[in-house]
Amino acid sequence: MIEFSNVTKFYENDVVLKDVTLTINKGELAFITGPSGAGKTTLLKLIYCDERPDKGQIVVAGWDIGKLKQKTIPFLRRNVGIVFQDFRLLANRTVFDNVALALRIHYMNTSKIREDVNAVLKEVKLGHKANTYPQHLSGGEQQRVVIARAMVSKPTVLLADEPTGNLDSDNSQIVMGLFREINARGTTVLIATHNHGLFHGTGRRVLLIKNHVIEEESIG
Amino acid sequence: MKAFTYSFQSVFRSIWHEKWINLLAILSVSIGLSIVTTFIMLTINMDSVIQRWAKNFGLVVYLKEQISGEEEASLKNRFSLDNDIMEVKYISRELALKELRTTLGADSMILEGLNENPLPSSYELTLKSDLLDPELVRKKAALYQQMTGVEDVQYGEKWLSSLYTISKTMKVGALVVGVAIYIAITFITYSTIKIFFYRRKDEIETLKLLGATRIFIRLPFLLEGLTIGLLGGIISSLAIFGIYSFTSLRLIEFLPSVRLFMASFPYQVYIIVPLAGAAVSVIGSYIAVGKIRY
Repeated sequence: MIEFSNVTKFYENDVVLKDVTLTINKGELAFITGPSGAGKTTLLKLIYCDERPDKGQIVVAGWDIGKLKQKTIPFLRRNVGIVFQDFRLLANRTVFDNVALALRIHYMNTSKIREDVNAVLKEVKLGHKANTYPQHLSGGEQQRVVIARAMVSKPTVLLADEPTGNLDSDNSQIVMGLFREINARGTTVLIATHNHGLFHGTGRRVLLIKNHVIEEESIG
Repeated sequence: MKAFTYSFQSVFRSIWHEKWINLLAILSVSIGLSIVTTFIMLTINMDSVIQRWAKNFGLVVYLKEQISGEEEASLKNRFSLDNDIMEVKYISRELALKELRTTLGADSMILEGLNENPLPSSYELTLKSDLLDPELVRKKAALYQQMTGVEDVQYGEKWLSSLYTISKTMKVGALVVGVAIYIAITFITYSTIKIFFYRRKDEIETLKLLGATRIFIRLPFLLEGLTIGLLGGIISSLAIFGIYSFTSLRLIEFLPSVRLFMASFPYQVYIIVPLAGAAVSVIGSYIAVGKIRY
């Protein structure tokens, strides 16, 4: 589903990822870990084509990232749900509208949008907050809205960048539970985190990035 | 269609949230378009005055005293065959004297002492009104002057030249003002949409990450520009229509003869000017949004 072959990425003259080779299989839930500045976020950005590799090849759900044309990028991103640490919710839209945005870009009809958004909001236990604005929600609730937005369009891959970075341990568990549910439905999930507690004891594959390379691969 | 539905919702939301900036932009556009319409109106009325005057404009070809009947007929034939001449009227010496007496009225007694008729016979030639270019008329007069049997050719050269210059200046002025104002409108919508674009930068970034296409991101801004241009145009057309109707009514009340010179205002102007305003507003918006890169 996600394949990196000898990928190197520079920011100006600084190397961020060096000769990285990895495979995330279809339907897998895996973790990327490592210290701050190790290149976890860059690795995710390369997957959703926010950055391009300077060397090597990346293939995501059949799309060759290095060869993607600008106008094709949106269609890759529709297959990749993204959960950001800083949420990136629109303050002037309700919870419902924030989630619906992911379907509106597909030009889906209004009744189908209403049906799907309400269903996903129920799944993340926020059905009663549909008409609330994000700034009136707690951090944990906001992160659940972001997850709802990422999963509503049923992507084949879901990426999460430090999804529990701003959450307490209870909310972190709720969020992780949601990721496990999404993964159980067949979605490939890749979570970047420096929080060892998040993958410890999960039995999932953990890739450690250190000194710009994948230094270790283990089971959490 | 669904893209338009979402975009229109976005436009209405933006117009409501940014009402003061939008109102300012709409009023600026409407003032600009009103100036364009006013210039067009003045040019059309000036043209109407010239056309009315041109209906009576003609060349007077005075004939030599010794001209033969054959030469007179030949001249008449030449004038009749000239496609630029609308009407050929022969004024005999007797008729010319009679007209002079009528013109002089009570003073016509000064003609009593004349032993013979001093006036020459002539042809009055009415030119087609769209050919009233001073240079063209001058060339035609010079050509007729060379003809056998022609003594002199006269026409209101200075008048024609002055009116032609005024009309041309008005048209060039309207064009220059029109172009300048349409550029200004493009700039007004460019600046307005650029502000909105920067204010919604976070939203645009989120849309890009969710997989929105360029047209999906761009369309609300283009429609907002279109709305500004169109509303500005409609306000301008309504204002000009009101002002023109009111002023012409008041003017006719005080100077009824003005009615003869006033052109009926072409209603297409009320549609074309706002539509052109809307078109340049969309161009301004398109430039403001620029190239969307992922």
